[in-house]
Amino acid sequence: MGHMQLKEIAATTYERADVNKGYTDQSLHINLDKADIGITPIDTAIKEKFIGGKGYDLWYMWNAVKGTTKWDDPENAVCISAGPLGGTPGYPGGGKSIVTAISPLTGAPIDSNVGGYFGPYKKFSGFDVITLTGKADQDTVILIDGIESNIKIFTASDLPDNSYEMSDALTRYFDAEKPVNVSVVTAGPGAENTYFGCLNFSWYDAGRKRVRYKQAGRGGIGTVFADKKIKAVVARFGAISMKTNNPADLEALKTVTKTHAKEIHELDPKQNRMALVGTTHLVPIMNDHDCLPTHNFKFGSHPGAAVIGEDVYEHIFDKGFDGCWRGCAVACSHGVKDFSPFTGPFKGTKVFVDGPEYETVAGCGSNLGIFDAHTILEINFYCDAYGLDTISVGTSIGFVMECFENKLITTDHTDGMDLSFGNRYNTLELIHQMARGEGFGAIVGKGIRQMKQIFAEKFNADAAFMQDIGMESKGLEFSEYITKESLAQQGGYGLALKGPQHDEAWLIFLDMVHNFMPTFENKAEALHWFPMFRTWFGLCGLCKLPWNDIVPEDNKQTEEPAKVKKHIQWYADFFSAITGKKTTPDDLIAMSEAVYNFQRVFNLKMGYGTREHDTLPYRAMGPVTAEEYESRQERYDKQLIEKYGMNISDMDTDTKVAALRKEREAQYEQLKGAVYERRGWTQNGIPTKETVKRLGIDFPEVLEVLEKNGVK
Amino acid sequence: MIQVDDKPVTWHQGMTIADLLEQMEGVGFCSVVRLNGKLVSSPRFHETPIPDGSIIRLLPLVAGG
Repeated sequence: MGHMQLKEIAATTYERADVNKGYTDQSLHINLDKADIGITPIDTAIKEKFIGGKGYDLWYMWNAVKGTTKWDDPENAVCISAGPLGGTPGYPGGGKSIVTAISPLTGAPIDSNVGGYFGPYKKFSGFDVITLTGKADQDTVILIDGIESNIKIFTASDLPDNSYEMSDALTRYFDAEKPVNVSVVTAGPGAENTYFGCLNFSWYDAGRKRVRYKQAGRGGIGTVFADKKIKAVVARFGAISMKTNNPADLEALKTVTKTHAKEIHELDPKQNRMALVGTTHLVPIMNDHDCLPTHNFKFGSHPGAAVIGEDVYEHIFDKGFDGCWRGCAVACSHGVKDFSPFTGPFKGTKVFVDGPEYETVAGCGSNLGIFDAHTILEINFYCDAYGLDTISVGTSIGFVMECFENKLITTDHTDGMDLSFGNRYNTLELIHQMARGEGFGAIVGKGIRQMKQIFAEKFNADAAFMQDIGMESKGLEFSEYITKESLAQQGGYGLALKGPQHDEAWLIFLDMVHNFMPTFENKAEALHWFPMFRTWFGLCGLCKLPWNDIVPEDNKQTEEPAKVKKHIQWYADFFSAITGKKTTPDDLIAMSEAVYNFQRVFNLKMGYGTREHDTLPYRAMGPVTAEEYESRQERYDKQLIEKYGMNISDMDTDTKVAALRKEREAQYEQLKGAVYERRGWTQNGIPTKETVKRLGIDFPEVLEVLEKNGVK
Repeated sequence: MIQVDDKPVTWHQGMTIADLLEQMEGVGFCSVVRLNGKLVSSPRFHETPIPDGSIIRLLPLVAGG
């Protein structure tokens, strides 16, 4: 590796738009084909309808792509927006970016919500949203410099090839004196060589004097970024205060910010202690409730989980302030310093690991039968440095391991590697191979949907069995919760627009543990309300954790504790204070519903978005194998007898598995119908004309897509 | 005596977490508690004894990731 070289190939200066009530009303477009830089105003009608964040991303992407666009076509657009509330220092979770693209895994729009300072810096530099289209012919770095008011495009050579070093090098290159002014978005070699590449969004941790990062993980947006030959996008901006968003009512903003932050400071230590343990408290809780993915989602608990949860990580995490946004009281972005990997290019060196979070522990730990906190750290480190989504990595390798243990694939296919559950060394070797695009790792890096096809066609593996155990839906790998005993969460995954990620709805405990939604109609109502409210965070540039992971002490006495209505009122006040629009909690739902339905129609435009695509592998619904059934036989036998009225005395296990499957698949289909009806969709899962009209998204091009799909 | 969410509660020999919750009102939401700093989930409430002098926190509804 020589000395990093950046050669400027295009540049423009611009008059930085002042932020007014959370918006700059300007968009930045960079076309890599021609190194073209364009700045255009955002239409008021679009602002009213799409709000910002994911709404803006989807609108600009909709206009960039055709229905036939594939992920690696030049017109595919990577869009990044922070939303009108994003960039409010001190408001808990107030600094998120939302990133979208057409996904290499799903072929449809994917969105990812990520911390780090890039989104706010980009907005304060003058742009509510940026779109990146085209493809460069050389490695490229883009700089958005809000201090100097210029935008530059560079060709790049001799950059570090991993995100860990590249983020640091570019941060210091663009502002050595004040690295805190810089945030860098990078991918990595794993993004170049797999379909589930992530993006790392950085911030400079002034306390530790090092660059940290969080990941826009899902759906391979990093892969699209790398395919465009973008090595990095850099935003640079200076001092930030509550006034930087130029809120309509500064005093009201100060009041609601202080109120929410104070509550978290007081109650987090009494509740989930996220400022100490991040989300690792979920490991023992999920394990005890049989919801922790173990051995490719076969089981929900394991005795080894005791050594990969908060009890261990609390003592490993480096102490210090760990907010991924300035002043965030949740401060859950923990890391481990002086970690020494035992494999790979960083073997024997000391590195800082950003993480792990619950999803990584579950996906790359228990789901692989790896009950070792340090191996999980090493997997976490390399996935980030290579630019790989830890969720897709963990869920994909879990699938591979179960295929291996069932002899669907053998060492003849895996380059001689034993990929039985629990094999730590070969798991890491597989990840190194993925990053290099070599060996069996290159196949695994294509994701479960493609692996199923390759294993069946080339290795003669049992396609039906792989369909049952391959934990993907819509092409996206599942995030890390067992849903077998929660029909509502099966819907939360199966009906999620982008695929099985839990950020739309997380209903397991409301449904499975508390039985707060016993009927199909109750579940359908939850699968309407929760996705709509959760979508709102993505429109505004916020994190959802402060909403319902730390709750008021009197929340349990409220009418609907799961909604944490006091906080929803605070969010409405927050929106009012910044934008100057008097806003009620119901208004937040209305904002989301329009964007949510637009995304569903966008799926339809891309050839998806109908009932047949809202399917699940059977493992998400119930026991696929006799081994699974017998491991929880008392539970399943009881259901067959009491819930379904069967006489099971003469049934063997395989017959019981089949009987239970028939019932559970039928109830999932019934749930889909109830949810579609509640959402104002046809029974084929398409928004009706009345629905899009009611929501004000009845644009001619939307109606055209509906009509093409038989909705008159 | 034990402390539950900063309030004193009378303790008795053999008291489990399930026993404690049964005598309290408005705890239907509770599926996880912290018993002297350690998480205990509802499947273990019946089998988990509370030592005298314990400090217990009732965690809010589990909200996932």
